[in-house]
Amino acid sequence: MRTDQTLHRYFYILVCSILILSLPFPVSADSFEQLRKDSANIKTIKASFVQKKFMKILTKPLVSEGRFYYVAPDSFRWEYLKPLRSAVIAYKGDTRRYVVSGGKMIEDKAGGAQAMKIVLGEVTGWMSGKFDQNPSFAATLKEGTNTQITLTPVGKSMSGMIEKIEITVSKKAAAVKSVKIIENANAFTQIDFSDMQVNKVISSTVFQDVQ
Amino acid sequence: MKCIHLFIVIVFLVSCSTMPVINPPMLPAAQKNLTCPSPFLKEKYQLIHSIEITAAGNVQGGIIGVTVADPSTRFVSCAIMTAEGMVLLEAQSGADKLIVHRALPPFDSGDFAQNMIDDIKLIFFTPQGLMQKKGNLPDGSTACRWQTQNGDYIDVIDNKPESTEIKKYSVGGSLKRHIKLTQTAGNAYSSIELQGSGIVNYTLLMTLIEAQPAEGELPGKEKLKVKNNAKPRRR
Repeated sequence: MRTDQTLHRYFYILVCSILILSLPFPVSADSFEQLRKDSANIKTIKASFVQKKFMKILTKPLVSEGRFYYVAPDSFRWEYLKPLRSAVIAYKGDTRRYVVSGGKMIEDKAGGAQAMKIVLGEVTGWMSGKFDQNPSFAATLKEGTNTQITLTPVGKSMSGMIEKIEITVSKKAAAVKSVKIIENANAFTQIDFSDMQVNKVISSTVFQDVQ
Repeated sequence: MKCIHLFIVIVFLVSCSTMPVINPPMLPAAQKNLTCPSPFLKEKYQLIHSIEITAAGNVQGGIIGVTVADPSTRFVSCAIMTAEGMVLLEAQSGADKLIVHRALPPFDSGDFAQNMIDDIKLIFFTPQGLMQKKGNLPDGSTACRWQTQNGDYIDVIDNKPESTEIKKYSVGGSLKRHIKLTQTAGNAYSSIELQGSGIVNYTLLMTLIEAQPAEGELPGKEKLKVKNNAKPRRR
């Protein structure tokens, strides 16, 4: 049971990392302090994404597509539309994962409630732009043509699961361009965002209706 | 009293034995011309399936399965991952050796990787062992039966035009695996249903996402050759 919880904790940390790191940081951000200030202005986000999974076993990357919704301070929906439907939804302090079964979305009961609480604690930190204050990751920020934030897991908790996470923020578009989750030398996941809409109204039904 | 015990044992054995009778064709010429169904890979292939898992009657969730299989060497390299891209298990196996590169809970338990590789080989590779019978089942469908080295029986049944079935029985005749391949759009692996019986009964519903011939050396095969001397996990 403990191993199951550990897996799900890491699983949700991974998913939530991607969610939170997709916040559209402004181009002027040249420090984590600036990021924290600017993050406070973001009330909602809606975006589409294309995820490419690279592995040695794959002759070409496995491409997935989905969409992402966020409403401050703690509601989000991270949903894959194809090739395999699934969704993680956090709303009013409750986080659930849904998977497709028989053509319908059903709740995945495998995730431990305790694990979700732990992860939500981490999410809250990221929501506030506190990349450099999360004890699970060491964060660095590098300015260039694009702004690049690199998160490296600290300690052995994620050993063998995530080597590092790289977030590229486009200065031109003033938004996160891509997230790269590197598992090891032979496997990484690239997520490219598009159609990002910031501070537009998002109905609460997005976080209640999974169909 | 002894007769009653014997009767109970016989009834028990008969109830466990679910292997159907395969009747050979009446005419020798017909038997000679009977072709065994062969829904198996003919060349190296990479296949990606979405997999819906049901275990002990409960839906366990959906995963993505990647299989690279070479029928000429019976080499299999496979990975399963979540929709989010997290790799839960990555393993490879030659004719009889297994290497697990990565296994996260609950996929790190017991012989999970070996059982998964065995299931993959059952689906994609021609059975190994002696062909015992070929003929027709009582419903008229063509069937061939192999007996493997460890005594298990494998039936391959052609239910034209709907599907092809693969059934694996224990030495005692109890059904261990039941695979149904339903062909759509010209691919034998478009839809695969695998029912496993054991300590926990499970069902895998596999829907093909992508299939393509694998070019060149299979991923990790060189590594396997090197590691074969380094105490791989054996079945």
